[in-house]
Amino acid sequence: MAPTLLQKLFNKRGGGAAAPHGRAPGEGPAFSWSSSEFDLNEIRLIVYQDCERRGRQVLFDSKAVRKIDEAVVQKMAEEASVKTSARNCQASNGNNISSHSPSISCMQNIKEQIPKYQYTRPASDVNMLGEMMFGSVAMSYKGSTLKIHYIRSPPQLMMSKVFSARVGSFSGSSNNLQDSFEYINQDSSLGKLSSNQNGLGTCRNGSNLAHSTPVDMPSRGQNEDRDSGIARSASLSSLLVTPFPSPSSSSSSSSSYQRRWLRSQTTSLENGIIPRWSTEEMFSMADESCSSNPAMVRRKKIAISIIFSLPEIEDAQRNFQDFFFSHFPLFESHMNKLKYAIEKAMISCRKIAESSQRVQVYISRVMDALGEFRVTIWNLYSVPRIAEPVWLNMMSSTLEKNQLCQRFLKEFTFLIEQINKNQFFAALLTAVLTYHLAWVPTVMPVDHPPIKAFSEKRTSQSVNMLAKSHPYNPLWAQLGDLYGAIGSPVRLTRTVIVGKRKELVQRLLYVLTYFIRCSELQENQLMWSEKAGEGEQVLNGSKITTALEKGEVEESDYVVVTVKNEPALVPPILPPKNDGSKNNSTVEWLHEPESTQAAPTSSKEKRETIGKDSQTSETSVDCLTSNFCKGAADGRKRTVTDTGIISYHTKESSKLEDVMDVKKNKNHNERKVEKQFSSKSSALPCPERSGHRSSYLEKVTFQIGSSASPESDLEAHRREMEENLNALIKNPEVIYCASSSTNLTVDASQNQEDNCEAAFIPIGKHNVCYAQIPPCEEKESILNQHMESKGTEVNLINSISSELLLPTDNIETVKSTNMKENRTLCSGNLENCSSDCVEADSAVKQDSPNVRPKDVPYGDSGRKTSFRVEGDIPRNESSDSALGASDEEGDCCIPDEVHHDSISKRLEEFTEVELPLPRSNTISSQCVKNFGRSLLGGYCHTYIPDLVLHGINNDEKLKQYLLADLFHAIHHPVLDEPIAEAVCIIADTDKWNVQVATSQRKMMDSVKLGKDVLVSSQVSSLLQSILQLYKLNVPADFCIMHLEDRLQEMYLKSKMLSEYLRGHTRVHVKELGIVLGIESNDLPLLAAIASTHSPYVAQILL
Amino acid sequence: MNAIVALCHFCELHGPRTLFCTEVLHSPLPQGASSGDISGQNEQAEEEEGGIQMSSRIRSHSPAEGASADSSSPGPKKSDMCEGCRSLAGGHPGYVSHDKETSIKYVSHQHPNHPQLFSIVRQACVRSLSCEVCPGREGPIFFGDEQHGFVFSHTFFIKDSLARGFQRWYSIITIMMDRIYLINSWPFLLGKIRGIIDELQGKALKVFEAEQFGCPQRAQRMNTAFTPFLHQRNGNAARSLTSLTNDENLWACLHTSFAWLLKACGSRLTEKLLEGAPTEDTLVQMEKLADLKEESEGWDGSEEEEKPSSQPDVVEGQELSKSSPETSLMPDCNSWNVAHRRLSVFRSLRHMRQVLGASAFRMLAWHVLMGNQVIWKAQDMDLVQSAFDVLRTMLPIGCVRIIPYSDQYEEAYRCNFLGLSPHVQIPPHILSSEFAVLVEVRAATRSSLYPTLFDDEQSLNKYEFVVTSGSPVAADRVGPTILNKIEAALTNQNLSVDVVDQCLVCLKEEWMNKVKVLFKFTKVDSRPKEDTQKLLSILGAAEEDNVKLLKFWMTGLSKTYKSHLMSTVRSPTSSESRN
Repeated sequence: MAPTLLQKLFNKRGGGAAAPHGRAPGEGPAFSWSSSEFDLNEIRLIVYQDCERRGRQVLFDSKAVRKIDEAVVQKMAEEASVKTSARNCQASNGNNISSHSPSISCMQNIKEQIPKYQYTRPASDVNMLGEMMFGSVAMSYKGSTLKIHYIRSPPQLMMSKVFSARVGSFSGSSNNLQDSFEYINQDSSLGKLSSNQNGLGTCRNGSNLAHSTPVDMPSRGQNEDRDSGIARSASLSSLLVTPFPSPSSSSSSSSSYQRRWLRSQTTSLENGIIPRWSTEEMFSMADESCSSNPAMVRRKKIAISIIFSLPEIEDAQRNFQDFFFSHFPLFESHMNKLKYAIEKAMISCRKIAESSQRVQVYISRVMDALGEFRVTIWNLYSVPRIAEPVWLNMMSSTLEKNQLCQRFLKEFTFLIEQINKNQFFAALLTAVLTYHLAWVPTVMPVDHPPIKAFSEKRTSQSVNMLAKSHPYNPLWAQLGDLYGAIGSPVRLTRTVIVGKRKELVQRLLYVLTYFIRCSELQENQLMWSEKAGEGEQVLNGSKITTALEKGEVEESDYVVVTVKNEPALVPPILPPKNDGSKNNSTVEWLHEPESTQAAPTSSKEKRETIGKDSQTSETSVDCLTSNFCKGAADGRKRTVTDTGIISYHTKESSKLEDVMDVKKNKNHNERKVEKQFSSKSSALPCPERSGHRSSYLEKVTFQIGSSASPESDLEAHRREMEENLNALIKNPEVIYCASSSTNLTVDASQNQEDNCEAAFIPIGKHNVCYAQIPPCEEKESILNQHMESKGTEVNLINSISSELLLPTDNIETVKSTNMKENRTLCSGNLENCSSDCVEADSAVKQDSPNVRPKDVPYGDSGRKTSFRVEGDIPRNESSDSALGASDEEGDCCIPDEVHHDSISKRLEEFTEVELPLPRSNTISSQCVKNFGRSLLGGYCHTYIPDLVLHGINNDEKLKQYLLADLFHAIHHPVLDEPIAEAVCIIADTDKWNVQVATSQRKMMDSVKLGKDVLVSSQVSSLLQSILQLYKLNVPADFCIMHLEDRLQEMYLKSKMLSEYLRGHTRVHVKELGIVLGIESNDLPLLAAIASTHSPYVAQILL
Repeated sequence: MNAIVALCHFCELHGPRTLFCTEVLHSPLPQGASSGDISGQNEQAEEEEGGIQMSSRIRSHSPAEGASADSSSPGPKKSDMCEGCRSLAGGHPGYVSHDKETSIKYVSHQHPNHPQLFSIVRQACVRSLSCEVCPGREGPIFFGDEQHGFVFSHTFFIKDSLARGFQRWYSIITIMMDRIYLINSWPFLLGKIRGIIDELQGKALKVFEAEQFGCPQRAQRMNTAFTPFLHQRNGNAARSLTSLTNDENLWACLHTSFAWLLKACGSRLTEKLLEGAPTEDTLVQMEKLADLKEESEGWDGSEEEEKPSSQPDVVEGQELSKSSPETSLMPDCNSWNVAHRRLSVFRSLRHMRQVLGASAFRMLAWHVLMGNQVIWKAQDMDLVQSAFDVLRTMLPIGCVRIIPYSDQYEEAYRCNFLGLSPHVQIPPHILSSEFAVLVEVRAATRSSLYPTLFDDEQSLNKYEFVVTSGSPVAADRVGPTILNKIEAALTNQNLSVDVVDQCLVCLKEEWMNKVKVLFKFTKVDSRPKEDTQKLLSILGAAEEDNVKLLKFWMTGLSKTYKSHLMSTVRSPTSSESRN
């Protein structure tokens, strides 16, 4: 049901890109869902009251409201039957309140109405929801609070607003309503529920006790100074007096730029909070006629919540969430509308004396409003969008540009020629250019040369830079652009095309998407760990690699899909902690291979491989299988420590990974050991760093063919493995092994390079990790010590830990641990050392590439394992390349000597320790979840207030709602900034007129929605010359270039006008006319354009 | 991103506490707000201001340090802090990371140093851990208001074998004033923060399991069931997150992670915002600058003789030593201003028109607009220069070729503005040509014609200007449209000089746009004459003078533009038919 809707909603954008020919231009396939596809009742409304004295009360829960159908109404007389039916209905509650007709018949004549709704017991979760809405502790803050909760099961998204209530002066005014609820509650539940505290009555539970200690929410106006110790006035006034440092006025796209810059400044946190415009939003529960009682304000809170049930299917759920979060301003705006309706319902129903009547009025009013909300949200999803907004598409797709131009021009000239009756089209375009002003910055000439061709305007570099240095919200900026809210005073504009001829309306809509402009959004993914290698796709931040692996036992192939996420914890690049070490010759390689959780099905092959490699297959297999079992559970929790840090590029075969994995995992299982190890490693000069690569590699194997699941085996292996590990821990001899196996040299590994590459299975993982070259002298000595004597361990640790910059308790724990544990630590360390540390240290260097550590006694089982890490197992592909990489990143990764020499000095100066940020790779993709794609609507079945542009069949609904919508738009601006005027351009292709309705004027009469538009002669001459050029067969792209030039002329004329107005308070139109051909009908247009660059123009002209 | 990310903890002893907090510091001025050199200044300014700001902030308050902070400090006193409530050890200065590309700094401390931010974060922390209710206790929630900022909070547990219930409660919060952005970022933040939490929990779980392995607390607690719990708590309750995760560098790691989170979230969405194409004047100017640069790099003195042997260094105050026709007419905005300081100069077209008289000016302007050679003969070089500076404003920059002052006559193809000293002989065919106009500046007789008009400008009074041409403009001739408009603008005293300037910009661009179409039509597409005629009438430029003007102005088109048009016509896509 809902999932289908949402899926379609999002799929259609992708699908619409391949626009079919022969259809009206620009509009994707028209989508129509039967209302049954979307259960509107999945949107639930709860109104709650929290009163100090009376506790919490549900004032409304749409889940508890049932519509009584006609048959039931008939039976209403018979009390008993009603009650039973009520309970029966309850089971099927939530099916159809208003899905087909949002406009539940208006309650015009209340007294004659038969009850249409029945209010039953609120759902059981209402207490919990109330808790979430208000919080467990009351807040003393007066203004409105916004909250969003995510409820996991069943998946729901709850959006709440908590208001302080403005109550009438007569105390206990809400009692009336309350009584009413109690009345209906008793009535409907036949006494059974009358005593039930979960009903509409007060719900008191334990948590409400917390009311006695409201959390102090200092309002900044009053006691903030006490709180922070700084006078707000001081910091704020200084900010207000000194205007924001204004960017250079030479910037051509100044208005766009300025707007964005201001946004980033006003929402800045750096210098404390800047007071923004705020409507002291309250919930009014009394008529304006009643004087408000300030004493009551603090005590009573009203919360309104809207709960969206999310589809169970994960994709659909994510789609809805994406839509919700990216379009939140619209959701919020509609919620405000709903709140207003609830207020009115509460106030008006109070005037009704009779209790049951009162409830009926209240419920039906709120249900009406909710129905409207539901339908609006539904509309917002389901309306057809323009699949190919011209401007946006021209901006983003360079390939098809010529076709795009031709197509647009064809439609454009068709309209100029065919439908310019009464200058209709010219009037429409005049209005659109006058109000949807975002085109102006796109024609403002820049003072730097273009990079590319002319038709391709360049992207604004200054804005790009701003976005980097002072990030603002591009979605917000885009919304403002679309609504044309970039002038001064800020006007918010929408355009509606009315007409019975669908095809014509669609053509108009399509053409207007060239003139209603906004920025295109790009989604960027910042990666720090590595670049996506060849053959890797990046999908939602996860890298996906696929490889075909041959099954050895079964005659089947496996597609191994590796999903790799970047770890969320970014390893810090720590400054070295010991001074004075010179590391000119040595680079310590800390090589931590990626480990993989191989999936069970592919294990057999792996076992083989590993078995051959290590010659002690059993142990390996044990490890491996244990890994399989543990993999999923431990994968994310694993911490692998490695010590040093340098960036490297490496490719590793999956074989290696598996072997490493064995080791890691074993190491991992020895938690105690590892804990010790990490303490130790942090004590080393090159501090510990968490390695995550292994944790984030999830291998999913899709088996082609079949094989028996070795799960039972695995379990056995796991146990065996654990026993072995325990034995290992107890065996102090292992230290020996540790010391010998650390003696790997880079040479050795380099010599293996060729082998490695031969054996390399190109799964192709590139790793970049960021690190520093640690000072090695000390490390060397440590290792030497390590080799020479096992007994020095404890001392070593002690001595090193004392060198730590920031000693903590943790170190002390280490100190106190006994010798034995330290030894085992070392043995646990073995794998890390052998696999991770490739020493480039000449002191430890060994000549033979085939050095093998001694076989290590492995537990009491008599098995032996050899960690032949240096032998057959590929190392990093090339240490040269790795070195190269480190050179590249040297500037940011390798701290210079001076830097860490001076650390102690800097400490004294109380300067922060500098930690470099990892270098980032950005993966950009076009963002579709944006307003530019969603608010340019097509030919819709009904009028929709949110859309920047859409077409409708007739203006019936428009007439009904427009004025209220306009007022709502200025009172609850979606743009999060004050709006001076809301405007709607209405072009009627049946009557051939274009009108502008505004929130500032009342409707003139019942026939007219707004004021007729004056046709600008600039615009009509522009249209004519484009048409003529087109007819002369001037190529389409050139015609468009000319069109842009002409728009630029308009901008220049507006510059002249603003210059003129500097010295004049009145415009002598004649003067302008003679000189520049500006006529009086051009003035509104030019003045509006001028208002984007010269705010003072508005004061004179508007 | 304009946000603060903080790690909060609900301490069993002290309640909700902010543990670690990463802030973003932007440079006070936007980068690249203007041209390169200015941005360089910005950087410097940022360095200074940022430095001052930083140090003052640091010195004014260090709430994390109970010892150094005075009693009024918003930070909790040391006695109120236990290991669990603390992140960075006493005396630790915090962490900082610089993002050089964006000059953004990410700074981490236990608490924000700014007092107001301190309380904002504290408020958010308290709400996140002890007021707002999240179903299941672990999970994301958004809350906030205009006064205290908006918060995305994610609560979670960390395993602790010594804690009550074997776990401790934490939250990671993101605070912003821009609620729309914060809500827009919910899916992103949830993913990233969840990832950080998972890793922290993973680390802690390992420690926990290791501890349980060594010394199972549950069993121990069972055995000592009757010992008051508090007793034990005093010993061990307050464990730092570092020890719970056994990660020495946890705070450094969190700093990097939070900074990264802020950076990634801030750059998650970017806009592609188009701006208008540069005007032709801008383009030509750029090209000339580029040429000049190339020239000064590629040529040295030895090759000077190859260049036009015009008068170098004639004009004082002119920066350019090599004043080839090209270079000498470099747009020099200053020369305009400089002109104001001199007395015997023209200050504006309107001024010139007043000095010369309407009809003489009209004749002169006509010739200028049509690209005919304008020769000024005068003793005073400054005067000539100022005349050219004023006159050239009527033309697109690309159409202006000036030889400001020469000792010999220069051909028209080399310059359309030529300054000559009075004794230079002008070839007679030039004097009689209809494609040239001569302005002779002579010393005025005592009976000067301008007694009242120039009271304040004695200097121009001493001259007499004689404008002559081979074919004087007929008074009844309509002339190019632009000329009439210019005249109208100059005549109307209501229009200030600035308005007139803006007017000229408009007119020139308007006509250059026509030029572009004509160029495309005739030069690129080589369309037949009849079509061209149609086109001209579409452009409103069918009259002879307008056509002439367009043709002359076509020479002023920038190379960039021309080559662009030429190249697109060759590309196969544009030749597609449209049907």
